[in-house]
Amino acid sequence: MNERICESLSALMDDEANELELERVLSQLNSDVELRQTWLRYNLAQSALQGDQLANRDWDISGRVQAALAGSATGVEPGVRQGYRQRIWRPLISLGVAASVAFTVVIGGRQLAGIENADPYRGEQSVAANPSPVGMLNSLGATALQASYGTQPVPQLQPATHTAYQDLAQQRLRRYMQQHAEQAALNSPQGLVPFARVPEIRE
Amino acid sequence: MLSSYKKSRSQFPLWTLLPLVLTAGAVASAAAGNCPQADAVALEWLDKMSRSLRQVSYQGVVTLQRGKEMQVMQVSHSVHDGIVFERLTELTGQGAQVERGPHPVDCIHPGDRMLRLEALTSDDHCGIAEHYRFAVADSDAERVAGRYAVRIRIEPRDMYRFGYIMALDRETGLLLKSQTIAHGQQVLETTQFANLSYSGGQTAVNDTGAGGAKEVEDEIAVVHEAQHPGPGAVDDTHSVSRPWTVGWLPRGFAATDVTRDNNGRRTYTDGLTVFSVFLEDVNVEMRSGEGLVRQGGTTTYTRGLQIEGQPVLVTVIGEVPVNTARMVADSVNWVQ
Repeated sequence: MNERICESLSALMDDEANELELERVLSQLNSDVELRQTWLRYNLAQSALQGDQLANRDWDISGRVQAALAGSATGVEPGVRQGYRQRIWRPLISLGVAASVAFTVVIGGRQLAGIENADPYRGEQSVAANPSPVGMLNSLGATALQASYGTQPVPQLQPATHTAYQDLAQQRLRRYMQQHAEQAALNSPQGLVPFARVPEIRE
Repeated sequence: MLSSYKKSRSQFPLWTLLPLVLTAGAVASAAAGNCPQADAVALEWLDKMSRSLRQVSYQGVVTLQRGKEMQVMQVSHSVHDGIVFERLTELTGQGAQVERGPHPVDCIHPGDRMLRLEALTSDDHCGIAEHYRFAVADSDAERVAGRYAVRIRIEPRDMYRFGYIMALDRETGLLLKSQTIAHGQQVLETTQFANLSYSGGQTAVNDTGAGGAKEVEDEIAVVHEAQHPGPGAVDDTHSVSRPWTVGWLPRGFAATDVTRDNNGRRTYTDGLTVFSVFLEDVNVEMRSGEGLVRQGGTTTYTRGLQIEGQPVLVTVIGEVPVNTARMVADSVNWVQ
């Protein structure tokens, strides 16, 4: 990973990326297995950290994680050159440490899921209550990492034509925004206003 | 809370509100007892905001600002005999009109329920307070569309949702202004009333009272009847070839409706925001890749990939950060 892409990834995670950075990181994520795994692990670690703080109030592993993070942020990690902007490295340092405890957190989360009644809105459709790192498949699933599994031919990723996907996203926005607005207008506190986001309202 | 009513010119006699205030206060305090991080006053206001759409009749002009682009619309909302009628007429852009109703006042959708204090009474959960931090500021300085407003600052507790600054009518709880705030305090979009008048609920939306939409009627390009799926209604979105699931959701999100397991759409809400996931089968060879469009607080993220050898297109549309959309798209899988 070069430092520019590191910075863009960090910006994506923090929701601070500009259009250029986003474009760069999304096209890189598509072809770079290492980067994709980094992104995924960071999200796992975040989910685990956050879930831990909220769901397991009596179970203070988050304190340990945070202590570990605090400890590592002050030390110099092997392979990390000093002088980089902190924004580049902070999430990645955190990632390394958090990932090393993520396993424990996930196992703990599963055990707790069995103890707690996980449905906060009883009689409702179920609400996401777990850090749920089990769902993430496609970042890893569509890559050459699966080469040794099964008998299916491995999908070979070609370099994506980014502008084609940009156009596709634009088309999908036009196609689906109204259906999204129908639901948003019934489930967010703004009445019919979500329809104002639909580019072209159809009958 | 009571003092804020005294400050404003009350539309209703105070005693009619008293039982509600006392009950709400008791429930909120109980919830706050179990949830030390919850701000009981803020939660009462959210509850009031959620109920206001079923209590008050109004009409006015609303603006939606996203970057340099501004959309202006006329809205009317009438509650009469337990039935809500709503209408939105775009005054800029396409000039479409959306109507909804009759919508019974006791028809509560999942997004509403999550804002109600009842959602917080369970012993082991703090509902929306688990996912957001709230701070309430009530001062005479805040006015929107000529109404005194209570300002609620809403900050996400994780990186999977946006923050908001909301201004609620101090008297009715109606949401007068809402700003969507990204990481770094950047305002992504602002919705607010430019003018607002309450009425007694006698004016059905189809009539044209003062400020009604009559004067723009000739200019309306298209009229859309908004859906109101009742319990058990089946959504008619396109179908996909196999049952599929979304394997990961940020905490606190729940499905907004019931869908068949091969329905092409799933929608989720946490009470303040909503996103939808659309899945399509693709019958041709396709390069995998991803594309993104951001407009104000709305992210549209489209991704082409193969799941177990089947090429598909996953699109996530909603008022969530890009990273959230990507995580959700990433977790789509066939039901095993």
